[in-house]
Amino acid sequence: MSEKLTNQKKDKKITINITTPRGLKFVEKADMVVMRCIDGDLGVLYGHAPLSAILGDGILRIFNDGFVKKLALFGGVAEIGKNIVNIFSTIAQKPEEIDLERAEADRQELEALFRDKAEEHKIQSSLVLLHRALVRIEVSMDLEDVKYFEEENDKREY
Amino acid sequence: MSSMKEIKQRIENVRSVEQLIKAMDMIASTKLVKIRAQLEGVRPIYRELRRVVEEVGSLEAAGEHPYYGERDVKNSLYIVFTSDRGLAGSYNANITAKALEHMNQGKNEKIVVVGAKGYEFFKKKGKNIVESVVDVVDSQVYYGSESLAKWLIDYYMKGEADEVFIAYTHFINVLNYIPVVEKLLPAPIKEGKADEDRKYEPDLYSFIDHMIPLYLHMKIFRAYSESHTSEQAARMVNMDAAGKNASDLIEKLTHLYNRKRQTNITEELNEIFGSVNFVNNGGLHDS
Repeated sequence: MSEKLTNQKKDKKITINITTPRGLKFVEKADMVVMRCIDGDLGVLYGHAPLSAILGDGILRIFNDGFVKKLALFGGVAEIGKNIVNIFSTIAQKPEEIDLERAEADRQELEALFRDKAEEHKIQSSLVLLHRALVRIEVSMDLEDVKYFEEENDKREY
Repeated sequence: MSSMKEIKQRIENVRSVEQLIKAMDMIASTKLVKIRAQLEGVRPIYRELRRVVEEVGSLEAAGEHPYYGERDVKNSLYIVFTSDRGLAGSYNANITAKALEHMNQGKNEKIVVVGAKGYEFFKKKGKNIVESVVDVVDSQVYYGSESLAKWLIDYYMKGEADEVFIAYTHFINVLNYIPVVEKLLPAPIKEGKADEDRKYEPDLYSFIDHMIPLYLHMKIFRAYSESHTSEQAARMVNMDAAGKNASDLIEKLTHLYNRKRQTNITEELNEIFGSVNFVNNGGLHDS
């Protein structure tokens, strides 16, 4: 797999556009992108067939030259065209944009709710929020992860 | 002619109004900058989503979905965006007139009105207002439009309305904004051949089920942003004109005041000189 990835030609990349209500937020070239749909992960490589999918709450992983970038993405629509992935989502956050303290506070608050055995419908709605908080925490942890991945990648190359 | 005291009082009045106008002008221009940034942000995602919605609509299989299928129209729902406050020139009159013109075509209309001005207007006209949204804080607009979209879907699916229109003011630039009425539901369909190769994940119906609420949310949010931007621009332009009028009025009144003062002084001088001449000439004795 790694051999295959490094052998790929430079021009065989897909373009990713992420549009949010704050405008076109993110444009990037990548080898592969993995997104979370409502019924599981969906990976897109160069030359993918045209497909439109509904996104769930989860992490968007962008693989490029052996690096992984993570974004927190909550809901939306993905449109895969000819080597282009257009993502329309209400919330897309980069690791540096996430307020880790707030996400952590949310997580603790929501987990306390489960311990207290709150009402059923309350638990259902807070499960979604808890999932979002966990996604945010994982993505924001990625700030340090990128560096780690870089070093590992370097070792493999030489 | 009014006395000097009265003129002075009027100048004071106009001056305090002018200050108010200037403050409103400044508030409107600051708000305009802010809301305009929001509008520029939401336009691209709305345009793209509309394109996706239209493309999906052109598929043959999508025609049977409740969001796309045309129904026999018994009730039409109108969402009209107006402002909460006045002093925005003809902004509110234009949009309500446009909406009214569209309604008066023998339709059985129901109205959802956003903004206090529109609510007053349609109530006076005796229209059937089913829901009104007033005094929305700027920071709550995004979530407000989300819940409005949810309410709308619920209402449409229950069959209370068979078509939905949205009336808002489209913002072109600070001096130009036009009221428009657009069809919201059933969802728009692109003319021409559909891209039948495209696959939908998990399947076409689930895709439509999830996509349309997002589209409606963005559409309502955008319509609100467009209207709000137009409102602030209209207010800014009108307050600018009003400010100029007030300055002109103050200038005119000041001139009048000065002239009056000069007349009084001249009169007094005449009296004094007359008396002095009279005394110098020997007064009453020599006459």
